[in-house]
Amino acid sequence: MRKKQVIPPDDYPQMVSKSDAAKMARTLRSPEAAARGAHAIRSHGPKLRLAVHDYVRELENAAGDLRLVFEKAHELRGFAETAGLRATGRIAGGLCRYFDEMENLRAQPDKAVIALHVSALARAARAKDEAGRMSDAVVKELAALVAHKLAEIKAAP
Amino acid sequence: MAGSALEVLRVLVVEDNKHMRSLLRSLLNSIGIREIHEAANGTVALDILREKPCDLVLSDLAMLPMDGIDFTRDVRRSPRSANPFVPVIMITGHTERHKVEAARDAGVTEFIAKPITAQGLFARIAEILERPRAFVRCESYFGPDRRRKAQENYTGPWRRHGDRYDLQV
Repeated sequence: MRKKQVIPPDDYPQMVSKSDAAKMARTLRSPEAAARGAHAIRSHGPKLRLAVHDYVRELENAAGDLRLVFEKAHELRGFAETAGLRATGRIAGGLCRYFDEMENLRAQPDKAVIALHVSALARAARAKDEAGRMSDAVVKELAALVAHKLAEIKAAP
Repeated sequence: MAGSALEVLRVLVVEDNKHMRSLLRSLLNSIGIREIHEAANGTVALDILREKPCDLVLSDLAMLPMDGIDFTRDVRRSPRSANPFVPVIMITGHTERHKVEAARDAGVTEFIAKPITAQGLFARIAEILERPRAFVRCESYFGPDRRRKAQENYTGPWRRHGDRYDLQV
């Protein structure tokens, strides 16, 4: 039996000295850094939205391949919201949660539930008023549908 | 951010989506980091790390042919690894429990769920700089200590699966 070895930070090479690290951390936590970073994200919005549309097409083409739909939905969840497409990200997030819940319940995902999410997600991503009231309503309806389906499975003998 | 304290840092970005790579580059540029290397997957990233010293790695999780988990495992454990201690921040839309645990067990330093925010990313980098983690080496693991808070005087029962194995390998 061999004991585990713990190597404290002082015993392995650090990227910078402690005083430089403190200075860098102050810079990173400054409002100026946050503002510059937020600007960088906003300025990438148009390109990121093009990438979201690519993912949406891949998602639509993946119909029937649950593994691929699962992968693309997870990519879209993070990507869409970073691109400023809030509703698209929320619908993708709902689809991801559905997959995760079904896996936890060891149940097979319902293809109709997936198709509804994919269709809504594609419409939201291409809509001019992506984050409008209609999108919010769709997100809520889909969440209610998923909750209902999960309750059905949990209630089954 | 000209003359930033951070401009000495060298960062490797591993991400298969070129738009996301470009965004991460811009975010790093915005805080003054200039030396940024890019790789579209883990295999290319390992090659870069062998040739170019890096202080920090930002990696996606889902990539082909080598994903972020296998890449991190290789960085930590391969005898050919140029820097097994390099901090790795995993940035991903995959937040399923088993993926997060796999990333942690591969030796990831920090985990960020997309969508990315500037404050979220910068806070993680600041955390790594200010509070570098101890590393643990045992038969089944090499990487940052997976316990965030060490309780040296803890005398209660072991709660985590594998605790005893961790302590006496």
